[in-house]
Amino acid sequence: MIKNWRNMVAITIVLAFGVGLFFFGTDGFQAFTAETARTKKLLEEKPQFPNVTLEDSKERVYSFSEFDGKYVFITFIYTACTDVCPQLEMNMNEVYEQIPKEFIGEDIIFLSISFDPEQDDPKTLEKYRGFFGSDGETWRMARIPNQEELDSLLNEFGVIVIPEDDGNFTHNSAFYLVNPDGYLEEVMDYTKIDEAAETVRAILDGTEE
Amino acid sequence: MTQAIFGLLFFVFLILPPVASLMESIMIIHMHMQMPLLVISGFLMAPFFQKKLPAFFEKWNQIGIPGIFLFIIIMSYWSIPRTMDDALTIQAVEIFKFISLPFLVGVPLRDSWAKISTVWKNITFIIFLILFTAMGILYIASPDQLCNNYLRTEQVTLGWGFITMAAAILIYLVQLLFINPADYE
Repeated sequence: MIKNWRNMVAITIVLAFGVGLFFFGTDGFQAFTAETARTKKLLEEKPQFPNVTLEDSKERVYSFSEFDGKYVFITFIYTACTDVCPQLEMNMNEVYEQIPKEFIGEDIIFLSISFDPEQDDPKTLEKYRGFFGSDGETWRMARIPNQEELDSLLNEFGVIVIPEDDGNFTHNSAFYLVNPDGYLEEVMDYTKIDEAAETVRAILDGTEE
Repeated sequence: MTQAIFGLLFFVFLILPPVASLMESIMIIHMHMQMPLLVISGFLMAPFFQKKLPAFFEKWNQIGIPGIFLFIIIMSYWSIPRTMDDALTIQAVEIFKFISLPFLVGVPLRDSWAKISTVWKNITFIIFLILFTAMGILYIASPDQLCNNYLRTEQVTLGWGFITMAAAILIYLVQLLFINPADYE
């Protein structure tokens, strides 16, 4: 065994290297996909929502600072999407329904942002809005007509959009909550409706006191 | 030595930006072509290092186990969904991929494989059988898009790639039980 001490040392070094590699590669064994890493980083950094110009389904044009002083519950969508977006918006509707009415419009605004400004003009958004119980006021659907602004936002929030051949996009989805000061407050799993609604309610309750 | 030169040329070819980005544009090619080819380039370059540093391999990889562990660890690392995304978005991780796969996988694999016993070889196969089966199931069955840079359909394709490799390993292991190669020599 004495003769083999080098083997033991080499094995130990290799194993330690492996543990270190996995530790750093997964943010301490926490993030095994880039998406969890992204969410984790967003929550740590809490970036400011860029002051983009929005055009909503009622053809109103305003900048994001319109929502100053209110929480904004955000999803990123495009109307031609057939799989995840309808699910995302249906779930968003359920969160919307679960938030006590007195907060809606007063303390919180729901906002679906389209990242396909070419197709999603106000008319298309207006039609799409109807499918999900959005009233166009307290839950607005809007596009960002300026591609540069859109790109910087998607980049800032780490939303990766891959255009597919058939005009569809693949993208990572989540619920985002921006606080009254315009900074990102929460990123929530869009499949866990009750959890998301509970989180938002707790935050809104907190502002009351 | 010609082998080592071919290995080096092959390695340089693989890391040429147009070649790399072409291979990385398709998920299954990224993981099941580019990565193994990088390992093969290292495998081919191994004799160069073995000749230049015989004492190092003799001393530190005498029975081949450290090298095989290194091989298994780095291979497992590159099968995590996160690492593929990171290789595409973070330059340092991409460079680490180009260095780790030939030099920390290909080279030690060649040095170790000749040294380890049949039992260890079979253990290695079994570890990869388990790893590839698990990864295959993960990539096929996951309802989520695991890699932000790749579509879910590509993810399922990759999953089946893993299952195919696992099946091949399984067939190899099963035939070991029934066929004695000595009968055919």
